[in-house]
Amino acid sequence: MTVSSPLGHTSSRDWKALLRCHEMLLLYVLVAEWLFFYFAGTSTNRRGVLIGFGTLDRQFDVLRHSCEIGLLALALTPVILTGGIDLSVGSLLGLCAIVFGKLWHDGGLPIPLAATLTLALGAAAGGLNATLISALRLPPLIVTLGTYSLFRGLAEAITHGSVTYTNFPAGFLALGQERWLGLPAQAWLFAAVALCLWALVHRTTFGRSFRAIGFSPEGARYAGLPVGRNLALVYVIAGAIAALAALIYTARLGQAKADAGTGYELFAITAVVLGGTSIFGGTGSIPGTLLGVAAIAVLKNGLACLPVVMRLNAAEEMSGLLTGALLLLALAGSVMSRMVSQRHPRRRPRASRPSPHLPA
Amino acid sequence: MTAPLLQLRQITKSFGGAPALRGVDFDLQAGEVHALLGENGAGKSTLIKIVTGAHQPDGGTLALAGREIRALAPATAHQLGIACIYQQPALFPDLTVAENIALRLESGPGLRRINWPARHARAAHLLTRIGAQISPAQEVRTLSMPGQQLVEIACALGAGARIVIMDEPTAALTQEEQQRLYAIVHDLRRSGIGVIYISHRLEEIFALADRVTVLRDGASVGTHPVAALNETELIRMMVGRELAPIAAPSAAPPGAVVLSVRGLGCTASGVRDVTFDLRAGEILALAGLVGAGRTELARILFGLTPADSGSITLHGEQVALRSPAAAVAQGIAYVPEDRRRHGIILELPVAHNITLALHRRIFPGTWLRLAAERALALGFIRDLAVKCSSPDTAGGNLSGGNQQKVALARWLATQPRVLMLDEPTQGVDVGAKVEIHRIIRQLARDGLAVLLLSSDLPEVLAMADRIGVMRGGTLAAILPGAAEARTVMAAALGRTEQGAA
Amino acid sequence: MNRYFREFSVAGALAVLLVALAIFAPGFYQPQPLLSLATREAPTLVVAGGMALVIICRQIDISVGSLFSVCSVGAGLLAARHWPLALVLPAAVGLGATLGAVNGLLVAGLRLPSIVVTLAMMVTLRQGLNLVRQGRFVDLPEGLQWFGLSQPAGQWLLVLAALALLTALAWGMRHLAVGRFVYAIGSDAEAARLAGLRPRWGTFLVFVLLGALTGLAALMNVVQSPQVQPLSGSGLELKVIAAVVVGGVAISGGRGNLWGAFAGLLLLACIAPALTHLRVEAYWEKAIQGAIILLAVVADGIRSRRPAR
Repeated sequence: MTVSSPLGHTSSRDWKALLRCHEMLLLYVLVAEWLFFYFAGTSTNRRGVLIGFGTLDRQFDVLRHSCEIGLLALALTPVILTGGIDLSVGSLLGLCAIVFGKLWHDGGLPIPLAATLTLALGAAAGGLNATLISALRLPPLIVTLGTYSLFRGLAEAITHGSVTYTNFPAGFLALGQERWLGLPAQAWLFAAVALCLWALVHRTTFGRSFRAIGFSPEGARYAGLPVGRNLALVYVIAGAIAALAALIYTARLGQAKADAGTGYELFAITAVVLGGTSIFGGTGSIPGTLLGVAAIAVLKNGLACLPVVMRLNAAEEMSGLLTGALLLLALAGSVMSRMVSQRHPRRRPRASRPSPHLPA
Repeated sequence: MTAPLLQLRQITKSFGGAPALRGVDFDLQAGEVHALLGENGAGKSTLIKIVTGAHQPDGGTLALAGREIRALAPATAHQLGIACIYQQPALFPDLTVAENIALRLESGPGLRRINWPARHARAAHLLTRIGAQISPAQEVRTLSMPGQQLVEIACALGAGARIVIMDEPTAALTQEEQQRLYAIVHDLRRSGIGVIYISHRLEEIFALADRVTVLRDGASVGTHPVAALNETELIRMMVGRELAPIAAPSAAPPGAVVLSVRGLGCTASGVRDVTFDLRAGEILALAGLVGAGRTELARILFGLTPADSGSITLHGEQVALRSPAAAVAQGIAYVPEDRRRHGIILELPVAHNITLALHRRIFPGTWLRLAAERALALGFIRDLAVKCSSPDTAGGNLSGGNQQKVALARWLATQPRVLMLDEPTQGVDVGAKVEIHRIIRQLARDGLAVLLLSSDLPEVLAMADRIGVMRGGTLAAILPGAAEARTVMAAALGRTEQGAA
Repeated sequence: MNRYFREFSVAGALAVLLVALAIFAPGFYQPQPLLSLATREAPTLVVAGGMALVIICRQIDISVGSLFSVCSVGAGLLAARHWPLALVLPAAVGLGATLGAVNGLLVAGLRLPSIVVTLAMMVTLRQGLNLVRQGRFVDLPEGLQWFGLSQPAGQWLLVLAALALLTALAWGMRHLAVGRFVYAIGSDAEAARLAGLRPRWGTFLVFVLLGALTGLAALMNVVQSPQVQPLSGSGLELKVIAAVVVGGVAISGGRGNLWGAFAGLLLLACIAPALTHLRVEAYWEKAIQGAIILLAVVADGIRSRRPAR
């Protein structure tokens, strides 16, 4: 996970400085978290073999398990940068997994073709969100709430609520279960997506305009930026990445079922916000999101290795609880930083583009 | 002598380091109309917001009927009988007229039952009293701007306010509605209410006000009985300097026609049948009253509200401007009026703000080239003398004048063929104003076609090669740059016979 | 009247559905299944009433599902310790109100966006509940189911209570000053402040009210079965928000009313049984709900764009 800030040679801006500060803080938390679990969650069994958090296998497990949520978090970062939100990515993951399974199993398509079609479906589903949000100017929250229900519902309708597709060929399953060049296979895909999004957000005019739109959609329009097109783009990208996450999910578990990815959107949003991206739009970074994902993943897997948690058999719940608490803490932190940097009166709630439920 | 209704002493207020008021004194007697006058950005709105409790002053005292009030909140101000008719009515768009009036007027426990028939009856009564043809059951969002203003006035009347503040109340009213408003103001005065009246229209001040206080750059220039003043003196107090020629209008003959507009109109924004030519190296100023349609015209030309009639020709080639992106591609630049919301993006650094409209050219292939961007930004910061610590400073940290320069730099960077400036010196300090004027003049001299939209008459007179006067959504007249203030004002008001005199 | 166009169009859609059922699947109209359906939806209706208030106030709360689960389990545990109903009821309502107050404090006090606050609340509560309960069911004592009444009597009681509550809320929103304050705050918080209202206080109170109503709804759900499921409220937030939005309450605040939300809930609630009776697979329910939500927002979007000002 890259540590160095991507923001290069610019430092004197206050929001950027705050973000950097947030990222550093998160990095410290991550390191402390990791060290804690390394010492508290590692032990040797009777035969003198190292078990628990400190083992390489366990570390790879952490990586393996965080890829899907990590991908969704990456996909959501540009969306939230523009001041929007996409609640439908988890459902879309489920729909894409099902469609992929059906194309391969019932449709008899070869895996590469089925995968390509699935990615196209993800982009098209993102396109539905994009059309409603950017062309009809509907609030993203409620649009994606609708598609959240729609996508999951379609997945259930296709499978009649019960069909699970299994028996995928080993070549495909390798994507989720094997190692390539020493790392879990999906980690390479994840890294590639992260790199692409980092370049998009931090190194292209698109990223620049996402920020401008997030800070002030009207201001971006008055600068002649293609606001509608760029808004549409972030939702389409989010859809395509959700489809990719669906493929990896299917490969990891070896099965595609309708409830794949349920609740993932919440963890993804949590990771993004934890990573310092402002839910109000404008501020945020891909490395921050990666740190957020890592913090949540280490927490979840580390807890599972603690003897006390193992005895309670409550790793999932503990990590969920702590994640929620972390999110609240991060929010409170963002309020503090906003109070520090409050230079201009807050924007009036009624901008011409309805932005739902951001505070007045 | 009884204590004045309202007395302000040495009020100061600043926003993020920029002083808006620097020690203002003001008082209001019962039964008088006290006009508050000043250029845009002189601090009138801030002063009003302090009286209504919307802002807390940083220093100074506020006394009502001799009693000093600390920490005035909007609710208390309302209880103490202060009512304000805002320029942009602060109404609830989703609720009916009757309910809007009731929310302002009714008080009492939250669990009381609402008497809807009484609400409607009172609203109907108040609306008839000001002669407004508005049904109490109408939703406010369906009302026009003057309609909403009338609702505000009805609220103030109904509140039995002792102090009524009117912030440019006639700006959007028809002639007939204005006359009715004058009658209402006279009525209020007779019943012992103090009225603070803000207007740009001098004739209105002479017709209505007893005294006038002039604000300039956040300080009071003085308070005088209106009867002791004439227009020239008032204007001089407002402007504060003799209107020395800022820069002599260009002697060089204007070049070829760059922009040609024929019969342009847009029903949605109320602009109709606008026809003019703009030449290279020329400054065409658009004057007119607030609400005359200047900004609306600029928005059409920038593709924000596309035209639905007429034609736009650039360099002899007819163009369709359906979006800002299309307008930018055609070499049209627009520095908007609302600098903080539209002109720049406050949170973005100066460098990013400057390149925001230039992405295609400076970042070919969409990859950011940070070094080139920085060089470009530094160049503009130097050329326009923008005061900022570095190109990375957030735009919101600059003063108004420097923000305006950044907004200007953004568009100069695109090397436009037509530059539209909407109130370029509104709310900037005098020094920056002079500099901005110099820059605009220099741009014109370099052959740029400039469309200058301004409600600052001295600015129009000093800068323009030709003056277009807008009235009621159309271009009413085009006058030579040497026209007199009276002539321009008369054209703006639609009284040519007076101008001819 | 144009003003209530949305409410009438939802009611119209509902009427069409009911007529279609009467013609094609008269089996739908049997008293006992209908009463059971109404009973199942009664708690949802109570939550929807509260949610409508929150959305009218230009906020949103997606933690109601978790809150509902927590209150259900809490009420169940108290009842299992043989607390009398007269104490369990205020305890459930109080627990809900307290949790709602936490949301309200964070949203109104710290001015955080309600979507993220309630998201965090949702995760925290749900996982906290899992941690404490480990998915165990709560066995309820004998006399609690249907309040110790016969099943039909209990069902009628729940349905009528929910309707009475909705009527009271709808009346209050229309005829009490506080109700109108909620509309005013949602319509324009700044104008509300200028008119001397206290928007933040009002926002806080609607969250508390929604919490209290959710607590009550949880109890209304608990008494319907001999056991309390640990995650009885999952998915409730979406169902409720969907009902409210479909019923014409604008997500941008200030518009809509509770009867619209009622019609919206009925419409969504009838889909599943209608599908069964029309011999469509029930798995389409969620997809159809999603499509209805999208249809409603698209209709709103197109309608609000037409009058060019």
